[in-house]
Amino acid sequence: MTFSTMLSTMSSGMWKTFLIFALTLIGSLPLGMIVALLRKSRFAPVRGFIKAYISIMRGTPLMLQLLVWYFGPYYLFGWNIGNWRFPAIIVGFVLNYAAYFAEIYRGGIESIPAGQYEAAEVLGFTKFQTFMRIILPQVVKIIMPSVTNEVITLVKDTSLAFTLAYQEVFSLAKQISASQTSFMPFLIAGVFYFVANYVVEIVMARIEKSMDYYK
Amino acid sequence: MKKRLTALMLVFAMIFTMAVLTACGGGGSDEGSSDSKYGEGFVFKHGFDLDYRPYSFVDDNGENGGFDVEMAKAVCDFYGWEYEAVPFNWDAKDAELNAGSCDCIWSGFTINGREDDYLWSEPYSDNTQKIMVKKDSGIATLADLAGKKVGVQTATSAYELLNDEEGQKELMETFADLNVYDTYTIAITDLNAGAIDAVAVDVTRAQEAMAKDDSLVCLEENLGSEQYGIGFRKDDQELCDLVNVALEALAADGTVAKIAANYPEIEEYITLGK
Repeated sequence: MTFSTMLSTMSSGMWKTFLIFALTLIGSLPLGMIVALLRKSRFAPVRGFIKAYISIMRGTPLMLQLLVWYFGPYYLFGWNIGNWRFPAIIVGFVLNYAAYFAEIYRGGIESIPAGQYEAAEVLGFTKFQTFMRIILPQVVKIIMPSVTNEVITLVKDTSLAFTLAYQEVFSLAKQISASQTSFMPFLIAGVFYFVANYVVEIVMARIEKSMDYYK
Repeated sequence: MKKRLTALMLVFAMIFTMAVLTACGGGGSDEGSSDSKYGEGFVFKHGFDLDYRPYSFVDDNGENGGFDVEMAKAVCDFYGWEYEAVPFNWDAKDAELNAGSCDCIWSGFTINGREDDYLWSEPYSDNTQKIMVKKDSGIATLADLAGKKVGVQTATSAYELLNDEEGQKELMETFADLNVYDTYTIAITDLNAGAIDAVAVDVTRAQEAMAKDDSLVCLEENLGSEQYGIGFRKDDQELCDLVNVALEALAADGTVAKIAANYPEIEEYITLGK
């Protein structure tokens, strides 16, 4: 197999890796916010449920969670899981990352002094307005470095989809390396992950810079 | 008191949800198993390991190739079925098959020892388990393996043979260590790197490796011998019969011989039509 064939074969995996990455972010960034807010709910059962959810998601390996999401429907309910492979991966990643993002958001929200809420109330802001116009813009700024951290981890975690034999970059690298008895595919995969993360770093730095309000 | 009540309600809610989900699931899986769905246009989902040269692997053009892949495609052409490749992880093959993400396990799959676990097609290839060592290792018989480190790929027939009381477990217990790998490629790399002394492997996979690297050699003695077949779900008699008919027809019209000629290292072991 020539180098260019290897590269073009692996490029299909790069696209799949990107899909996992993008869909996970699109799903888990907003879901994390919902989870973070529910975590502070006044209704105790909701709070308890969310705490348990976060605890399980963070306390068990993502690899294991992926297996459960993929094979669970069959083992628990006897369902046919014909085309469930990709959806299972996305569900697994989104729910897992939402738990981490929720805790990052919570840290951000709780770092805002209570005085600001009181001041907003005095000034006649509704709760929703207070959150959207005063709290959130500050929170986003505070949590940015932690979010960047998670996003970079996510780029590398996409390789866990190999547990479900999804043909992303890492699975492909393994298979091509096996059939061609060459370590080149792993090198290509390594460069791919590094470049992807380099792009993430640049983009996130830009975003952080664009948020230098409240200096 | 209030807390206890909420807890109780939560438990009930959970049980209720699970019961409903289970009921739905049970209903769903029973339907559609009786009528014939294998007409033209049926999507034949071929489950295989992409790291099992020369039966199923990524070929030089970056496509799925191998004897089993080409045969499965030929069977699909025979019936006008649509071919769908389902590469899976070998250790998850049973779950994949039972859960319906593929219709068969067709990937150099050993029948012996698993006779009752699947519905088997006619055997199509002979296979023998061998011990592969470095030429200069000084290991010449199975007995020489005592105190040596041996590698094997997980969930393969060689692995099962070495862990089977009626197989070669006794031999395995003389090893210093049995290293279990994800793929034979890594096991063989480790053998070359000197981390292990021998690899227990199917003869066809061994020949493949020896063709590329002449410092490797197989022991005369066999570890075991067996046959390859296609494994179907136990309730899928119709599909199994159809594939058997197709295999016979493809052997008769020379298609099998033509495909086998692409894989000289296993050509002599293919038993279809012989």
